[in-house]
Amino acid sequence: MKELFFIFFSLYTIAAALGVVLAKNPVYSAFSLILSFFGLSALYVMWGATFIGMIQILVYTGAIVVLFVFVVMLLDLGSVVTDHSHSWLTVMVSAIAVWFFSLLMLRTFNHTPLVAPATPLAESNTRLISQLLFTEYLWPFEILSIFLLALIIAIYALTRPDAADKRKVHP
Amino acid sequence: MMEAQPIYWTHYVATCLFALGLLGFLIRKNAITVLMCLELMLNAANLILVELSMRTGTPDGIIMVVFVITVAAAEVAVGLGIVLNLYRLKETVELDAFKSLQG
Repeated sequence: MKELFFIFFSLYTIAAALGVVLAKNPVYSAFSLILSFFGLSALYVMWGATFIGMIQILVYTGAIVVLFVFVVMLLDLGSVVTDHSHSWLTVMVSAIAVWFFSLLMLRTFNHTPLVAPATPLAESNTRLISQLLFTEYLWPFEILSIFLLALIIAIYALTRPDAADKRKVHP
Repeated sequence: MMEAQPIYWTHYVATCLFALGLLGFLIRKNAITVLMCLELMLNAANLILVELSMRTGTPDGIIMVVFVITVAAAEVAVGLGIVLNLYRLKETVELDAFKSLQG
């Protein structure tokens, strides 16, 4: 039964990702991205990482994809069907390069020797994650918070309305 | 005792996702869709991290995933800010329109 669910969610995630790549309209791409993230969240939960599954839905579909859709709405691109595709040569060469790269990745994944777990992680490991985050990984955690603060200032400087006018080129 | 090497299908799923993200990154021309394909690649990496972390019984990979998600959110915010500025400059988000280095 678990295998059946795994196969279903895997195929569902890959199909939704295919939708992201192939959709002409950026709004359709964004909604395919939401579907793909829900499938990935199910895969995380099936591996036992329930906390990551929750964070995936909350942060990715709740914040990131909403940001994408918001920018599409702000730029009024929803009705614009971008049909300027690359030439067939570019697409074929990219596909062949990606194919070889993924073969290399698979080989690396499948031939990495792994130590069998002495004690497998418990099904609910959220407590363990939070303990590690505030003891062993405290410094990266704090650096990340300062990084986010710097990011707020940087994005404000980047997108404030009068910043673009100074750089605007009049052809 | 020799056993046949078990097949881990999650490797194949993550590789498929990464390949799709990379392909979209290479062949799409809309800047917003290119950013979405970047997200797909980051998620493939997250899937592999979660799988290996659960298989080896070490929680470090899962903590790495938390950091990756935070940095991904930051990256999207910066990327979309840049896309907004580009749209103000050229009235389009097609990547082919941005050819000159001197703004």
